[in-house]
Amino acid sequence: MADVLDISVSGLLAYQRALQTASHNIANVNTEGYSRQRVDLATRPPQFSGNGYIGSGVNIASITRIFDQYVQDQVQSLTASQGQQEVLLDFASQVDGILADARTGLMPVMRRFFDALQNANDDPTSIPARQVVLAEAEAMTSRFNAFQRTLGNINEGVNTQMRTMVDAVNGIAREIADLNKSIQQSPGITNGQMPNDLLDRRDFLLTKLSEYVQVNTLSLDDGTINVFIGNGQNLVVGVTAQKLGVINSEFDPNIKDIAFVTGSSSVNITKLVTGGALGGLLSFRSQVLDEVQNELGRVATGLAETLNRQHKLGMDLNGNRGTDLFSIGNVGVLPSTLNTGSGSVSVARVSVDAMTTSDYLLQYNGANSYTLTRLSDNTTTTINTGGTSPYIAEEVDGLSLTITAGANSGDRFLIRPTRLVSGTLDSTLTEPEKLALAAPIRTLSSINNTGSVTATPGFVNSPDNRVVITFNNPPTTYDVVDETTGATLAAGLSYTSGGNIAFNGWTIQISDGGSAPAAGDTFIIDKTVTSVGSGNAGGGVISAATVNSTGADPNLGDTVTITFNNPPTTFNVSGSTTGSPTANITYTPGQPISFNGWTIELSGTPVAGDVITVEANTGGVSDNRNGLLLSALQDKKILANGTASLLDAYGRMVADVGATTAKAKVAEEAQSILLREAIDKRESVSGVNLDEEAANLVRFQQAYQAAAQIISTTDRLFQTLISAVGG
Amino acid sequence: MRISTPQSQLTGINSILDQQAKLNRTQLQISTGKRIVSPSDDPAGSARILDLNQIISITQQYQKNIDIAEERLASEETAVKSAISILRRARELAIQANSGSQDAISRQSIAVEVRELLDQLLSIANTRGGDGDYLFSGYQGDTRPFSETTPGNYGYFGDDGRRYLQIGPSRQIAVSDSGNDVFRAIRNGNGAFSVAQASGNSGSGVIDPGNVTNPATWQANIDTYTITFTSATTWEVRDSASALVTSGTYVDGGDIQFNGIQTSIKGTPASGDSFTISPSVNQDVFTTLRNLVNTLDITITGDADKARYANGINSAIVDIDRGMENLINIEGGIGARRNILASQKQDNEDLILQRTETLSSIEDVDLAKAISELNIERVSLQAAQQAYVKVQNLSLFNFL
Repeated sequence: MADVLDISVSGLLAYQRALQTASHNIANVNTEGYSRQRVDLATRPPQFSGNGYIGSGVNIASITRIFDQYVQDQVQSLTASQGQQEVLLDFASQVDGILADARTGLMPVMRRFFDALQNANDDPTSIPARQVVLAEAEAMTSRFNAFQRTLGNINEGVNTQMRTMVDAVNGIAREIADLNKSIQQSPGITNGQMPNDLLDRRDFLLTKLSEYVQVNTLSLDDGTINVFIGNGQNLVVGVTAQKLGVINSEFDPNIKDIAFVTGSSSVNITKLVTGGALGGLLSFRSQVLDEVQNELGRVATGLAETLNRQHKLGMDLNGNRGTDLFSIGNVGVLPSTLNTGSGSVSVARVSVDAMTTSDYLLQYNGANSYTLTRLSDNTTTTINTGGTSPYIAEEVDGLSLTITAGANSGDRFLIRPTRLVSGTLDSTLTEPEKLALAAPIRTLSSINNTGSVTATPGFVNSPDNRVVITFNNPPTTYDVVDETTGATLAAGLSYTSGGNIAFNGWTIQISDGGSAPAAGDTFIIDKTVTSVGSGNAGGGVISAATVNSTGADPNLGDTVTITFNNPPTTFNVSGSTTGSPTANITYTPGQPISFNGWTIELSGTPVAGDVITVEANTGGVSDNRNGLLLSALQDKKILANGTASLLDAYGRMVADVGATTAKAKVAEEAQSILLREAIDKRESVSGVNLDEEAANLVRFQQAYQAAAQIISTTDRLFQTLISAVGG
Repeated sequence: MRISTPQSQLTGINSILDQQAKLNRTQLQISTGKRIVSPSDDPAGSARILDLNQIISITQQYQKNIDIAEERLASEETAVKSAISILRRARELAIQANSGSQDAISRQSIAVEVRELLDQLLSIANTRGGDGDYLFSGYQGDTRPFSETTPGNYGYFGDDGRRYLQIGPSRQIAVSDSGNDVFRAIRNGNGAFSVAQASGNSGSGVIDPGNVTNPATWQANIDTYTITFTSATTWEVRDSASALVTSGTYVDGGDIQFNGIQTSIKGTPASGDSFTISPSVNQDVFTTLRNLVNTLDITITGDADKARYANGINSAIVDIDRGMENLINIEGGIGARRNILASQKQDNEDLILQRTETLSSIEDVDLAKAISELNIERVSLQAAQQAYVKVQNLSLFNFL
């Protein structure tokens, strides 16, 4: 009798627990990360009687959670990849939106500036038309500034988000460590009874952590797990959590890095962080923010430098030579905070055309040797100063580096040629009269000429022209040819080692290096970048070019007279300072003729005594020749080695950002679907189904009622027995 | 597959959210009319849009420039036309003055009118355009180009500059001609040489302006020649070095030919009278008219004066002809440029139209398609919402 009661009680207790578990499941139907639990029932050990084993009731073997580690791992890893794409998409869309918006994009303001310039060209004496040019220049530069400011704010946003996320990661890591401790200390663990709810919570926190950063875990026998970032950087080890922090990057305090912080020391792990929102932030920064700022800077630099250069070749309404239209900040050189030496580097832009949008890293290797790395493709250039200080290195990508000694081996400098400069673009012209729309020279055919010779209006040679200096045989003299215009600038000049050679607004020196220049040796000045001919036999070296402040030949405005000889197959030139020879030059119609930094062409049939004069364009207020050349810069391919106009470069940037955003959108959608499927899978395995629980409730209730019925049956049996005995 | 309760809810809600997002996007496309709302919608397309917008905008600017060029050329054409009619009138007057029926009084009234024409011509040469700049001063739009520096001498204070405007991607058009080109660079005489009588001629010989019969020979022998009457019936031609070129017997109106040119002399030249033939030089139209006035002012008392008068009038007529020829050439140039403007304007118009169409095909949303998509998405959303409500009502607990 007692046995039956015992069995019944075992059933009652078991189903009570089962009902409890079902209730627990129902109660947690909406708890995130909860895995449904199941009571595993088992028979109690049977009792042996002479005629066999008699069952002794039911026992609870364990309460387990229905859980699939593989599915959980998938959820975690997909959460990390989806989180990364989501943040990338989120931030990239901001930039994408700015570029698309007509109120914030750069194209409309640049167009308006160039339109205003054309309107001024249409009527060069109109002060109002000139004023509009200045106003539009102002509007354009402030749009560039505003754009850079917005990007700066976005960078600030990235930094703030990074801090918030790192705080969240730290909180989660600490909680995981705490859970590790609770799990380790939970009493059932030694005989395999796991604290299901704590495990759920920890798995849930791992998923949460994956939203911020991709993590790997390692389960240990004592129930704890270790959590790693990247390839083995411990975030949680057993019951202790490491602390992440946000630190200034090596070169720029405005760019933040992620590091493990212990006391006052920190280990930078930015490069190891992938996946999750933090990974998304970092990829946004490198793929979008840096790229956009660099390209924007290049467009601003191209605009400022090329327009300035052309503007200086012009003449304003007061008859003065043009000055700078725009000003723009210098190339950024950021020494590493880890540098121990006192060396310094300054970088000047030499040719916008050759500039890239990459950043550069200059590292000192000791023994006067530096390595310059273009970070976009890791191309390296070795610079050896040979102990000279300051040393001017040969131009790289349109940049000229001046290195001052004092660095210690391993010292590094980050060079950012175009970053942030769009924020410094400023229009410097304030007086409309100073817009240099006219050319500073003009040509005149004497009215007394009896021949039909005419001269083109002529133009000013730009210092950007490609000029080749070739040594004659014997190499005591050299010729100078402007290959851009096709004109001979000078012929048969005597060579003096180290002497100044000045044409088109620049000055260079050629000097004996190991040996004097040999016959046929060439020296090239192209876009003010100097180089030595590839097949040179002599040891002559060429200095860097210095461009004078006016950017043109100083004798430009001098009156030069071309007079045809008898017979008029040759002419003489008088009044010129730059250029040679000046006597008995053979006349070839259409042949460019260059003196004093200008180039003209003559055509027609001259008669002996015919005179052509080139003179300063005094009073030339209605002339717009320079204005037309300025306007032409709007779609001239002035960037990326003559492959991109300002619009092309800007358009490529818009397309790049668009493509990155679109890619992030597609990736985010794909990852979201995968994640949704993984969560579905997890839910399918571990999620609570209320109908199922309802059925279980009914099932367990019935079993419970039946077990209770056994007690009443036992009672009735007992009563029968008592009444029979008590009779 | 086993479905958990939160999962079935989530599925329902997710499908509603997805439909809403699609609907929102289509709605945005319809309300903006743009297929590409931000560059990421079509990165290559957005770059193309920038490009097309730029081309359209620049071309529209060219159209503006063309309008201005039109106006400039029209002003110049008006001025040149007026100048031509002035010269035409001057020529009529010169011919009138040359007829034998004129007396001193009628010659004077002609002189008065020619003076008036000269003033008009000068004021035309100093015309300002719509922008306030002098039309014919080259680059120096603020400088008055022509004035009479000393009586009878007309100075030019402009330069050879021509002003250009941009009317196409690589096309500039001159919207002005310099004063030199229009009024000054004009060969006098017949364009190759000019003839004149010596001031001391006493006979009544009148020389014909002549013409070139053999340009090559003339080109090889350009020089100043003097025809001198060695007697009343014989003449000789000597070059600038006094070398004898040719000689002949005088026939009234008979040809005098040498070195590729020919002329003739009418009337009765006296022995010792001479005539010069000099290579043409540039002579401005003001000087031409001034010379005419000076000739008209001659007081005629004898045959010598008559000859001087007739020679002067003859020179003036050929010089006026040269001036008209030059102005007509300039006018023709302006006409040609106006034609270029018209055709460039049409080209630009076509380009704008074509690029706008391309832009629209890239950028604009196909409304009919979008609206039908909107309807489909609306129906899908309603279906998702209804399905959600229906499914969520199902629970076993309802029956317990």
